[in-house]
Amino acid sequence: MKKIKIKTNLLAGLVMGVFAIVMLALLPSQVRLPMWDSGAPSPRIIPGICLVGILICSAILIIQSLVFHKEHIYEFVWDHEKHELVLILALILFVVLTRFIGFIPAGILIFCGVQWYENERKPIIYIYTILMVIFVFFLFQNVFHVSLPAGFMERFL
Amino acid sequence: MGTLSVIGGAFAAVFTPTNLLFIFGGMLIGMIIGCIPGLSVTLGIILFLPLTYGIKDPSTAIIALLAVYVGGMYGGSISAITLNTPGTNSAIATTFDGYPLAKKGHVLKALDTSLFASSFGGIVGALLLLLLAAPIAQLVSRFTSVEYFSMAILGISLLAGVSGNSLPKGILSGLFGIFLASIGVDAVTGVSRFTFGIPILQFGIDMLPAMIALVALKQVVGKLGEFKIKGGDMGAASKIDKKGLTLKEAKSILPATALSTGIASFIGAMPGVGGGVAQFLCYNQAKQVSRHPEQFGKGSLEGIAAAESSNNAVVGSAMIPLMTMGIPGDGVTALLLGAFILHGMQPGPNMFTKQALQAYTIIAGCFVANLFLFPLGKVMTRLVAKVVQVRYTYLAPAIMLFCFAGAFAGTGNFKEMIFCAALLVFAYFLKIMEIDPIPMLLGLILANIMETNFVTAMMSYDRDYLIFFKRPISLVILIITVVLVASMIRINKKVDALNAKQMEEATELHEQMNEEEA
Repeated sequence: MKKIKIKTNLLAGLVMGVFAIVMLALLPSQVRLPMWDSGAPSPRIIPGICLVGILICSAILIIQSLVFHKEHIYEFVWDHEKHELVLILALILFVVLTRFIGFIPAGILIFCGVQWYENERKPIIYIYTILMVIFVFFLFQNVFHVSLPAGFMERFL
Repeated sequence: MGTLSVIGGAFAAVFTPTNLLFIFGGMLIGMIIGCIPGLSVTLGIILFLPLTYGIKDPSTAIIALLAVYVGGMYGGSISAITLNTPGTNSAIATTFDGYPLAKKGHVLKALDTSLFASSFGGIVGALLLLLLAAPIAQLVSRFTSVEYFSMAILGISLLAGVSGNSLPKGILSGLFGIFLASIGVDAVTGVSRFTFGIPILQFGIDMLPAMIALVALKQVVGKLGEFKIKGGDMGAASKIDKKGLTLKEAKSILPATALSTGIASFIGAMPGVGGGVAQFLCYNQAKQVSRHPEQFGKGSLEGIAAAESSNNAVVGSAMIPLMTMGIPGDGVTALLLGAFILHGMQPGPNMFTKQALQAYTIIAGCFVANLFLFPLGKVMTRLVAKVVQVRYTYLAPAIMLFCFAGAFAGTGNFKEMIFCAALLVFAYFLKIMEIDPIPMLLGLILANIMETNFVTAMMSYDRDYLIFFKRPISLVILIITVVLVASMIRINKKVDALNAKQMEEATELHEQMNEEEA
């Protein structure tokens, strides 16, 4: 199995450092000052302090990694990670589909797909999954009075 | 109304059919979630949180979540004993003796010991909360916005300092959480912050989808991925026999249980430590004072009792800093703080003056939940233990559906589901970078309190940014922050070393036993 050893201190330092620099550069355009002075401190202060703090922590992480060789290694094994990534992708797809076709059809499609991906072949687990999707929808609708997106089934539900 | 009469009223309020139903239901859900390896008490609380929205009385909602916490802490020991896999982090030390005893065929004895010790520890911890909450709240009642801001700094720093494997990463995570919370329209000035012209960002990122994605969905996806890798192999759980704990044995484990409860109650009350740390210290201490230290790691009842009483004692004592000062002691109490806020309550000294009955009802609820843990555990453990053997593919879709539906229920807006998906992707990158999301969540939860108090302090003291160092109590809090973070890091490092040593010893012993058996 192919492993990629990721230096997490270095990676976190670089990613978050770049993020903080970009956000600090965008701060004046993204957080405009109020038109009049209400006596309250600037709305830029709290996010500004956070971004400077993130930048300092990132610098410390990079120095720890490059100068003191203090590292935490994350072993990225594609054969293992791909399963998690597929599932995350499936959940993103579930959200997208819910927007367009509704909670029940999206749930049935995606979660039955997930069962198939998990090598479940017995029909009972698919029946259970379908019933669970319907149960959650009606539980929220009738008990918690929350109408989940019904999509094209809105007329019937 | 005097404190005693409020406490009396609080107990009367707890013993209503609704509250008792939520206590039993919460504990049962906690036990089930807690006993499934890979799913934590935090997930149980997050899963249950949206379901509490419909509850009219906020104290009932919090009691229900506390019941999940109490049940989950005990539930973690069920899989630790039957499967040698701790259901929660706080049950790691339970595997040291629980599993060897189960291998000897005394599963029920091990489970009974765990239940007895958990109940004992839980009751004492809750009693401590009941007795100490009011005096501590009175002590901190003179705080102004300056001190509250410093307290929020203390809370985030402590959790950032002790989370994960690196202090800069912990602080970075906490700061990122505050930054995330600043996205959207600023409540004071009405200015948009970091919305990039995207409409759904105007209202900011709510804490509920963040909790669900960063903790719950991340856990479930990870566990489901693992299920695929293992090809659905669940591991063989030990069967529960019929010979439980005798009265004589219960008496013999009482000193170890009491000692661990005492230590854990003290440790749990210190913000930033939590149950994960307490169990190892207690286990080690119980081993040192035991008459039979050679039995530890081979199925010692005292070992199980020490580990289990400690993690349940922490439940009550960890609520002390949360309820009196608004500072969470660990990840679970950080989520509970979020739950308090979502239900319109603000933990802190004011809660004991303005919402005294609700505050004491919650404390009484915590006490009652611990009181009922023993009978409920006796009746339900055998059934709950069977859940460990339920294929994960039955549980995962249900949990994920509840997660998304729960996120949606928060505001009834589809944007919450979009945030859930986006934050799940973000959680994956955090995993790769080994950044703990818990300080981030706490940052997100505390940001509003921090900023409100910061703005109030600035407006009250004419934008004097040094006011936090000029007011003596605030200065003391900030000094304590630095001292505590430094000492907590040292304590945690020592405990980690102790933990590694004990884990090594336990693994060796388990291997030896397996070889002998073979």
